Amino acid sequence: MAEAVGTAADVKGAKGSLPGWLEISLRFAQQRPLGAAGAVIVLGMALAALLADIIAPGDPQVSNYALMLRPPSAEHWLGTDSFGRDILSRIIYGSRTALLIGFTSAFFGATLGAVIGVASAYFGGRVDLMVQRFMDILLSFPLIILALAVVAILGTGTMNVILAITIPMIPRCALVTRASALAIRETPYVTAARAMGFSHTRIIFRHMLPNVMAPYLILVTAFLGQAILLEASLSFLGLGVAEPTAAWGLMLRGAAVEFAERAPWMAIFPGVAISAAVFGFNLFGDSLRDALDPKLRMG
Amino acid sequence: MQRYILKRFLLMIPTLFGVAVLVFLLLRVAPGDVVELKYAGVGAFVSKEAMDQERAQLGLDKPLWRQFMDWMWGIARFDFGTSMWTGRPITYEIAIRLQLSLQLAIMATVVAVLLSIPLGTIAALRQDTWVDYVVRVFSIAGLAMPSFWLGILMILGMLIFFRWLPPMFFTPFWIDPWANLSQLIWPALAVGYRYSAVATRMTRSAVLEVLREDYIRTARAKGLWEKLILTRHALKNAMLPVVTVIGLEFAFLIGGLVVTEQVFNLNGIGMLFVEAITRRDYTMTQALVLLVSFSFIVVNFVMDIVYAWLDPRIRYQ
Repeated sequence: MAEAVGTAADVKGAKGSLPGWLEISLRFAQQRPLGAAGAVIVLGMALAALLADIIAPGDPQVSNYALMLRPPSAEHWLGTDSFGRDILSRIIYGSRTALLIGFTSAFFGATLGAVIGVASAYFGGRVDLMVQRFMDILLSFPLIILALAVVAILGTGTMNVILAITIPMIPRCALVTRASALAIRETPYVTAARAMGFSHTRIIFRHMLPNVMAPYLILVTAFLGQAILLEASLSFLGLGVAEPTAAWGLMLRGAAVEFAERAPWMAIFPGVAISAAVFGFNLFGDSLRDALDPKLRMG
Repeated sequence: MQRYILKRFLLMIPTLFGVAVLVFLLLRVAPGDVVELKYAGVGAFVSKEAMDQERAQLGLDKPLWRQFMDWMWGIARFDFGTSMWTGRPITYEIAIRLQLSLQLAIMATVVAVLLSIPLGTIAALRQDTWVDYVVRVFSIAGLAMPSFWLGILMILGMLIFFRWLPPMFFTPFWIDPWANLSQLIWPALAVGYRYSAVATRMTRSAVLEVLREDYIRTARAKGLWEKLILTRHALKNAMLPVVTVIGLEFAFLIGGLVVTEQVFNLNGIGMLFVEAITRRDYTMTQALVLLVSFSFIVVNFVMDIVYAWLDPRIRYQ
């Protein structure tokens, strides 16, 4: 994510003696400590996901009935679950599931939404009207209802959950990018590009899309937290990622409530992981929004 | 104003129709149906004829356009049909659960309003002090914590510290208000806290913005009592975006209900929805999606009207 900040603002970073992206990141950390804290959480989570095979103390999927519902101890820092699986390992591997689903669905949701929004604004007229009506229909489903409906159709499993989260994100992004693109359509450089006889595709992708980058990046970061939360909710309802894959929402399902009194660690730690991850993404995203959107900047 | 309301109202109809078409088609694209699932649980061998007979009884053998027309004709007469799973009328199944979910939704909204408006105002008045930071972290945390986990923690806390659990069965408020509230207050808090997060942030920034307006300076220059400036001049004007946000975040409420009802084992609309979806109960899922979208659209519609009513600039456009 640090790279994304760098590229979005590397014009400013060019004058420093440090490498541009590093200076930008440092300045970002200095001016927005909360955002930097969020970035640290996100980075930590990304590291945990990448290095899961090395840092996880055990296999997240191997059951061991001799070790059922053990409290936190030296061998099992966060205890074991009702199948005797190490909870710490499942949380570390769970960050893989969360990040994979979070990133892919936020990326595809925002990107498809941006393309639809910009194209709809560019063509205008009847096309715009039809697209907007269809987006209105999608928007009149609350996020989780639409996601649940998609899972019901496709069935559970990681790929289907990604799709189920991507689809409700599309109209939300299309709405925002369309508004920015409407202003861009009237700029002289788009008129010039049209006069040069460039194709619609070229104008949309080369001239208009790069200029909705700021709202796009803001939406991607905002979607990330939402996507992780949505995945956790779906998995919690039993309509998301399927056992035995390690996923945080899934860890809170069934046994965690059933054995709440005997083994509270089962119910506490996965929730801490979800909250910390979403907290990190939201903090980082908020600061990024303030930094990228000059209109919201105060003084 | 009347024309504005009428225009906005008429726009609701095509949207709802689109929702109906979409959900109808989506459900039928999915492999497997309610009959297969019903007999999958039985375990015994069921002949294809028996299953086809059951399908015919449910009207699943008719062509798609016919099924859709039947459904639409039913809706036009306020007849939503019967559940494909239980065979009972859908209006009955919804009615027995609506009371619980509606009460929960209202209580969660009250919790959200009671939390967000005072907290947001205080944060704005004490901008950049520790009070402000605490409120901001509190509201960002509310967005980060899934309401179902909050619910689990509440149950856990009550079990460990008080060896007590909220009542398992729903009692209507007028029969035993105490039992009713002691069951519903927890899920309402779990959903309401999350619901309040966005509204708190909105209140904060709205109050901050209003406090910088000229009329506030004028009021101060007149030597008006600070409390009066705050309530009559600042808050009244800051409430507009807050009201909107509370309306728009209605979706949070529905999402919150779906998962929290599961945690607290409440037999409400959210629970019914998850059940209907997993059982491929087409008629029930269709009716519920339509109900949810309808209330969502109506809330947005009412918000638009309230907005226009509160802000004459929109009304006279």
